[in-house]
Order: sequence, then structure tokens, then C-alpha cells
Amino acid sequence: MGRQRYLLLLIAALVIGAIVVILNVPTQLGLDLRGGSQLTIQVKPTEEIKEIKPSDLDAVRRVIEGRVNGLGVSEPLVLTAGKDQIIVQLPGVNDPIQAERVLGGTAQLDFRKQKPGTEAQLGIERQQLREKLTLQRELRKSNDQAAIAKNQAELKAVNDSISALFEKTELSGKMLKDAYPSATNVQNTWDVGLQFDQRGGELFAELTKSIAGTGRTLGIFLDGAPISENFAYSVDVKYAQTGITGGNAVIEGNFDLETARDLAIQLKGGALPLPVEVVENRTVGATLGKDSIQRSIYAAIGGLVLVLIFMVAYYRLPGLIADIALVIYAILTLAAFNLLGVTLTLPGIAGFILSIGMAVDANVLIFERTREELQSGKSLYRSVESGFYRAFSSILDSNVTTLIACAALFWLGAGLVKGFALTLALGVLVSMFTAITCSRTLLLYTLSFPGLRKPQYFCPNLEPVKAEA
Amino acid sequence: MKLQVIRQRNVWWAISSALILAGIVAMFISWKQIGAPLRPGLDFVGGTRLQFELDCSKADNCQKPIDIAAVRSVMDAEGLGSSNIQAITDRSGKQVGITIRTAPLNGEQRNQLQSALSEKLGTFDPSKTQIDTVGPVIGQQLFSAGLLALIVAFVGIAIYLSLRFQLDYAIFAIVALFHDILITVGIFAILGLLFNVEVDSLFIVALLTIVGFSVNDTVVIYDRIRETIALNPERHIDDIVDAAVNSTLARSINTTLTTLLTLFSIFLFGGETLKIFALALIIGFTMGAYSSIFIASTLLALWRERTGQVYGPAPAAPATDGVSSKEV
Repeated sequence: MGRQRYLLLLIAALVIGAIVVILNVPTQLGLDLRGGSQLTIQVKPTEEIKEIKPSDLDAVRRVIEGRVNGLGVSEPLVLTAGKDQIIVQLPGVNDPIQAERVLGGTAQLDFRKQKPGTEAQLGIERQQLREKLTLQRELRKSNDQAAIAKNQAELKAVNDSISALFEKTELSGKMLKDAYPSATNVQNTWDVGLQFDQRGGELFAELTKSIAGTGRTLGIFLDGAPISENFAYSVDVKYAQTGITGGNAVIEGNFDLETARDLAIQLKGGALPLPVEVVENRTVGATLGKDSIQRSIYAAIGGLVLVLIFMVAYYRLPGLIADIALVIYAILTLAAFNLLGVTLTLPGIAGFILSIGMAVDANVLIFERTREELQSGKSLYRSVESGFYRAFSSILDSNVTTLIACAALFWLGAGLVKGFALTLALGVLVSMFTAITCSRTLLLYTLSFPGLRKPQYFCPNLEPVKAEA
Repeated sequence: MKLQVIRQRNVWWAISSALILAGIVAMFISWKQIGAPLRPGLDFVGGTRLQFELDCSKADNCQKPIDIAAVRSVMDAEGLGSSNIQAITDRSGKQVGITIRTAPLNGEQRNQLQSALSEKLGTFDPSKTQIDTVGPVIGQQLFSAGLLALIVAFVGIAIYLSLRFQLDYAIFAIVALFHDILITVGIFAILGLLFNVEVDSLFIVALLTIVGFSVNDTVVIYDRIRETIALNPERHIDDIVDAAVNSTLARSINTTLTTLLTLFSIFLFGGETLKIFALALIIGFTMGAYSSIFIASTLLALWRERTGQVYGPAPAAPATDGVSSKEV
């Protein structure tokens, strides 16, 4: 019995360790349980970059990371997925719309110089731009899709002809050190302050010097289009000697605070090397998440209790031992989740609850075998031993097939599906251990007490010796 | 209780065929009506599902029931007339919110819709809001990844079984798997037609879990058949199959029962998302236990009869050989 006692101690140590882990290492909850947004961002190839290489994807990821940090969400997660997707998890975010707008925008800022002799032309175009933009705002309210689309097309034409009046300079958003919303004197309107790095500051000074006092303007373009109604600025003649030095500039756009902040985040986050689109957004409110946890706990406890009752009712003493093993199973599995940092999602919890039902399968196999051996007239101890021995092959085969299905799910599935596969597979592995080692050790230990060594505790209505059919 | 699966096999095959046929007919009708054998959920076709609940902490915000007609008129005004609108009721049966399913909306469009709805219905509680937007591309990806996972699992299991057992065992185990999957899918086609039940990526997960569980059940019976053949090579295969099924019957029933107990628990307490998932598993697991007993084993017996392998290998091949080495 020395070996049994040793194993019992080991199991006790494992359980205590597991409880310590559960109490001290927090369970990682998925966004569907604690609330938050998950966005999937699709990176798109362009004319120049037809195939997205891992380095391209990584570059996009870093820019997105910069923008996520600007959102001020705690514990955000930015991951690449597959060949051309980025997954952003924003726990507790309550404005998924802002997140979507900020993360998905391209925001390539650049500064351009007006070509000589285009002053009159620019005046006309600016007037056009103003009209179209005002019209667009009104149309948005009326929701006349056809009219919006028509105006949009006209707007684009105006933008294009304005762009043609300017020539590109070297100064671009890449040289920004900082961008921030700054209040103006007028109530509720905001500017976006810019601060360039050293090279950018030099270029800005050079640029402003070259147009100071000429009447020509400096244009600010976002993604190749004028940034707003106020996009072109003339530079006072007093800067003709040195240009505007110090590397600071202000975009006066009459923005509201929200727009100014979004723009600042996008600019600070840098320019995306490739266009992106938000293709998936799953947002769960915090209260809904809490509700789901509550329900899952009810479901888990309900399932566990039903199984526990059934096992004792049907298998008697071994059933009780299987129950102990099952509780140990539940504790060890939860500890394994915490320790391995498995993120628990709703399907993941379902996988765990399901594995409770399936975990007793090994014990059911063993006990059925034990009963058969008892019925064929073997001694109690030998029946238990050979029950374990002979059921092992079935237990192994059936668990390996489940693991194969889990592996397929884990490799090929996405997101939530992965969570389910991982929890189910972990459950299967732990259950192999508890069902075989724990229940075997406990059962053999129980048999060391003469008072419990009664076959009818193992098999009710045991007929005296029955020849095997 | 003693089952005579071999003698009654025609009955079981007839039952299975009828179930499968009903499912196929339902899929066919479904195909004619909605262009897909099952009613595809958001995950597969893409779209936006919005769930808003009223903020009941505000005075007079939750008093009146949700005015679906008003919601409908808002949707029409936004050019989203074909959307699916449903009221959400809380546990006491009071209407506290709405779910809307539309074509994919971007952030701006969603914002606009939300404020338009809020104007008509009252203030929403942002902590109870749920938004799911799935682009059509993602939907396609989820679907094909799921399908691929299913095929990979089938192949993996087939290879494992033909290594651990023999090729014919593996083939009939896979046949039984197809049987279970086909019936589960068929029943969901019927549910889709009758109750608008949709399938999403969790349904594919359910199918894969069914695959794992069903084969698990089959393996236990096969294991017993193999063991009995090795011990008694002179026994007729029909007899062996009958005996193997019966000696594992209590186990089959009990395991399925414990699993179903947990599944019913998920079904009853687990919340909306998991309900359909649990239902799929309940159907599939029941079918899995059924097909292991009545389909996989009877087909194996029939095959062995037809190919002249009614009896195990002659005693010349010592029984201990094949068994002990495999069993440990």
C-alpha cells in the first residue's frame, strides 16, 4: 500500500496547488464575457504592393498599435492573423464606432505648395469645395442615398482639380513628432496642433519661407484630398527671411473636439503603408458579459451536480469515488486554464461543461468492466484491477479521436472556435489523468479498509457466479 | 435488456434511412426557398446584428412596450427596410430592447441608425449593447475554415482508426460519422424551415464535437468486438457483434446520459448564444450513440459476412499476440 499512499499524497498536493493557483492567478476572460470590442482589420494589397509580405503586415500592425494606444484603452491587444489580417481587442471599450473610425482610417498627411499662377483658379475651386461639403452635410441628414453618391462624385472631382493646383513637397506626416487637439478662441471649435521632428521642422521652415508674401498658399492634404474647408494657408511676408521655425504648426479646421482628437490619433499613429478595412466588429456590453458569466456558472454547477448524483445513484461506492475524481478534475482543469493563460470565452466554458459530462466516460468504462469481472466470479480486488487494465485501450482510443477533432478545430478554426477546442482538449487530457490515476488510487486505497471491501457496494444485485455468455 | 441488433438490423437501417431522407428533402426545399441547405447565420453570410436594451435606470424609459412598427419605419427611412427586427423580452416577459439584423453597416451608418432608434424608443444602455458586424469575406473564411476542419478531422480519425484497428473498421466508423452529421444537419434544415433556426460557426464546432464523441462511442464497441474475436476466433461475427453491443450497452447509455445531463444544463441555463449549440450537440450525441450501436456494428458484421471473414483468423495465429500487445 506504500505506493498508494504516495500517490494519494501527490494527488492531494496537486489539488492544493491547483486551489492556490485558482485563488491567486486570475482567470483570463474573453471579451464576450467581460465586455469590449474585437475588430478584425483586413489589409489590402495595392498597385505597387500586390502581395502582402509578413513584413508589410507587421508594419501595419505597428501603426495600428500606435493608434490603439492613442485611444487610451487599458490592456488592448493587437495581433496579426493569417496572411493579411490584424485582430484588435479592446476590453471595456464603449465607443466601438470611434475605434473603428480611428483604426480603419488611412490618414496619410502631406503638405503641398501651391503652383505659381493658380491663385484665381484656387479661389473658384475653394468656393466649389465649400458648397459641396455643405451640401453633403445636409444630404446626410436627409439620407437620400442617390443624391449623396452624386455629390460625393462631384466632390471628388473638385478635390482632384484642387490637388492639381498644388505640388508635393518632401514634408509629410511621417515627420510628425506629435499631434494634439488644441482649443481655439471660438467656443466648441478645435484645431489640431502639430509638432515636427527636426528634419520636418527644417522642411516646414523652408516651405513657409518659399511662399511667404507671395499670395500662394500652403495646402494640407489628408489621403490626397484637402483636409477640410480650411486647408490652404498663406504665410505672412514677415517670414520671408527665415520661414516659420520651431517646427510647430496648427491645422485650423474648425473641428469639433471628437474630430480633432480622431485626427490627432490618426496622425500620431503614422501613415499606414497599405489600405485597410474593418471587416468584422464584435462588441459586447459589459453588463451582457457579466450576465453570460452568471448563466455559465449556473450551467456548469447544474451539469456537475446532475452528473455527480447520477454516478452515485448508479455506481454506488465507485460512483462516489468517480465523483471525487470529477471534482478533482474540475479543480485541476480550472487551474490549468489559469496557469496556461487560456482565455475563457463563452464557447470555451461550454467546452469545459461538456468535458465534465465526458470526463466520467473513462470511469463508466472501468466500472462496467469491473462489474463484468465481478459477475464472472473474480475477487473484488482483481476485478477492480482488471477493470482498469482492460478498459484502458478503449479509453485511449476514444480520447485520441476526440483530440484529433480538437486539433483540427484549433488549427483551422478562428477566434472563439479556438477557445472551445483548447478547453475541450485540455479537459480530455486532464480527465485521462484523473479518471485513471485518481480514481484508481482512491479506489485501491478504499479497498484497504475491510469494512468497505463488499462486492455489493460495487455492484448491486450481484448474482453469485455467472458463466460468461 | 438484451438487444439483437443483427436480427433487427433492417429495422434500424430503415429508421436511419428515413431520418436521413427527411433531412435531405428539407435541405432541398430549403435550397429552393433560400438558396442554401441550411439557414445561414450572420457568421457565414455577413451582416450586422445590433442588440439594444433600454436603460431602465432612467425614469419612464422602460414603461411602454417596444413599438416594432416605429422601429420598422426608422429602418425604412434609413434604407434598411428588409431588415429583420425582433423585440427582446426579459425574464418577466417585459419588452426591454430590440435585435436587428441588417446588411453590413460601417461605424457611421450604425451610429446614425442607433441615434435614430434611440429617438423613437428611449435611451439605450451602452453596457447592454451588443454589436456584431461580419463582412462577407470573413463569413466565407469562417465557413471554409470550418468545412476544412471537418474534413481534416475525418481524415485524421480514419487514419488513426485504420492504424489501431483495421481498414474496414475505420471505414464503417466514418460511415457512422457521416450518418450522425447528416442527420444532425438534416434536423437543422427542418428547424430552419419551421422555426427560422440559423446556423453559425458554433454549429460547425458542434459538428466537430459530435464527430469526436460519436467515433469515441464506436471505438468502444469496436474495441470489444476486436477483443472478442481475438479470444474466440471460432465464434460467428454476428454473434460477436451482438455480444459486444450488449456488453457495452450500459456504458453507452450511461456515458451518453451524463453528457446529455450537462448539455441540457447548458441548454436551459447557458443563455441564447449557447442554446442552439447545445441543441445541436444533444441531437448529434444521441445520434452518435445510436449509430455506434445500430449502424457501425451491424455494417461491420454485414461486410465481414459478405467478404467471407465470418470467423476470426485461424487459431494458428495465437490470440495472445494480437491482443496483449495492442491492449496495453
